[in-house]
Amino acid sequence: MSFEGPLQRLVDELARLPGVGRKSAQRIAFHLLSVDETDARRLAQAIIDLRDRVGYCRRCFNVTSSDECAICRDPRRDPAVVCVVERPQDVVVMERTHEFHGRYHVLGGALSPISGIGPNQLRIPELRRRVAEEDIEELIVATNPTVEGDATAMYISREFKPLGVRVTRLASGLPVGGDLDYADEITLGRALAGRVEI
Amino acid sequence: MRIGWVSLQDFRSYREVHWRPDPSLSILVGPNAAGKTNLLEGVAYLALLRSFRRAPDGVLVHRDAATGIVRGEVRRTDRSALIEIEIPRQGRKQVLLNGKRPARHSELSGALRVVTFLPDDLDLIKRGPGERRSYLDEVAYQVWPGAAAEQAQFERTLRQRNAFLKRGADDPVTWAVWDERLADSGARLVARRHQVVTALSGFLTDAYRDIAGKGRVEFVYRAMWTDRPEAGVEDLRADLHRALEASRRTDAERRITTVGPHRDDPNLLVDGRDARYEASQGEQRSLVLALRLAAHRVIREITGEEPVLLLDDVFSELDVDRAVALQAALPPSQTVVTTTALEHVPLEGAIFEVRGGEVVPR
Ligand SMILES: [Zn+2]
Repeated sequence: MSFEGPLQRLVDELARLPGVGRKSAQRIAFHLLSVDETDARRLAQAIIDLRDRVGYCRRCFNVTSSDECAICRDPRRDPAVVCVVERPQDVVVMERTHEFHGRYHVLGGALSPISGIGPNQLRIPELRRRVAEEDIEELIVATNPTVEGDATAMYISREFKPLGVRVTRLASGLPVGGDLDYADEITLGRALAGRVEI
Repeated sequence: MRIGWVSLQDFRSYREVHWRPDPSLSILVGPNAAGKTNLLEGVAYLALLRSFRRAPDGVLVHRDAATGIVRGEVRRTDRSALIEIEIPRQGRKQVLLNGKRPARHSELSGALRVVTFLPDDLDLIKRGPGERRSYLDEVAYQVWPGAAAEQAQFERTLRQRNAFLKRGADDPVTWAVWDERLADSGARLVARRHQVVTALSGFLTDAYRDIAGKGRVEFVYRAMWTDRPEAGVEDLRADLHRALEASRRTDAERRITTVGPHRDDPNLLVDGRDARYEASQGEQRSLVLALRLAAHRVIREITGEEPVLLLDDVFSELDVDRAVALQAALPPSQTVVTTTALEHVPLEGAIFEVRGGEVVPR
């Protein structure tokens, strides 16, 4: 079934979003048609702002609406300890533990030759530059406990240990095959405390 | 452990069917292509989370549907569990255990255990080593909760290393990383396989004698990259790592991993002779039944639970002596047998007719 003009266009756009099927797309579109106009406009503006104002931190590649993210700008954070994660969402999860006081480095994924992702497709050259320019003493690798995340952790260890940096991995306790997303704060806090040298 | 009921929706030839097997023995009778094997495949899917014919998930979905659903209740003396699986034509299947998504794969392991006897089981002996590797991995999968993750991890790592080789294997550090990861996951996989071989050793000869009357069976795990497959994970890891490094030039040329557990050759010997090339037809037939019976005994021994037995049109293939011997050797587990004609089956049980997408008690 197809609707006319703008309505169908919105349904088509919504259906392209991850996790949104045909039926949900229609339901959301009709919902937006029925709600207060200001609510609908606020959603539209939020999407525009996201694309206009949100970018990546030039230091750690976390998401931010300025040049450098709030964590990198915070003078209380320890610049000598850097937690390496796959995605910006992982920063949020780690922050919720309130146990980590260093800075981050967001790789933008994990090594996966199947998808054509090697070290240069990740922000590993940028990490190399940071290690050369900043006084980084420890890299805590918090990539996902997957085949790709483990390989990435090992790659970082092999690349950066020879440079005199301590490289550690979160102690196990995270769900196998699960993303960092699913790990609750207690598990993650414990994993952080029990991290091991790799 | 037994199956209380199973229901299939848009699975293979079925639009919708709900079936309560007999607590002890059910005989599914019907003409060829009536859907007997499909029903059995649905039951096994609850335990293995894949087709026992190794068919890809996509083809299990009814041709007029986008999603197939398999549901079933597993009863134990003290509790029962509900397993529900949604199989999309494309994409990942969803599994619910008691209405909840299991946090990890191992929670599902052992929710239901089955041992299958299939018409093309002779492939286990007559065909290449891949069939025998799968046999060992399947037993491990049903016995140890960690085995599923280990197997998946090895497969995934192997695919990644091969993709790396296909793309030209340019970066030495990345190469070293995939070698290390493959050595680690491969060592765990093979340690597990060897654990199964050891567990089987006693049962296999016993089961073979139950069918053939006499003889001695050995399962020998052979690998090109180690002469000590019985060693622990640490030693296996070192051996595999060394072999991967030694085969780097060949691997780079052929752009594929030429050595490792995916090339291992688990071999069956009957009275010291290679079962594939030197055993008679009769010995091979007895050995196949022995492999399935031994798998049942190992699973029962280690888990303390009787797996459900699924026999797909097995008796029609057997001569009278072996049919009688198998009947006598079958354990008292819940059993489901399919057949085109009741006179092939030397067993007593509840009879169900399968035809036109329905399963009707007679
Ligand atoms: Zn930053």
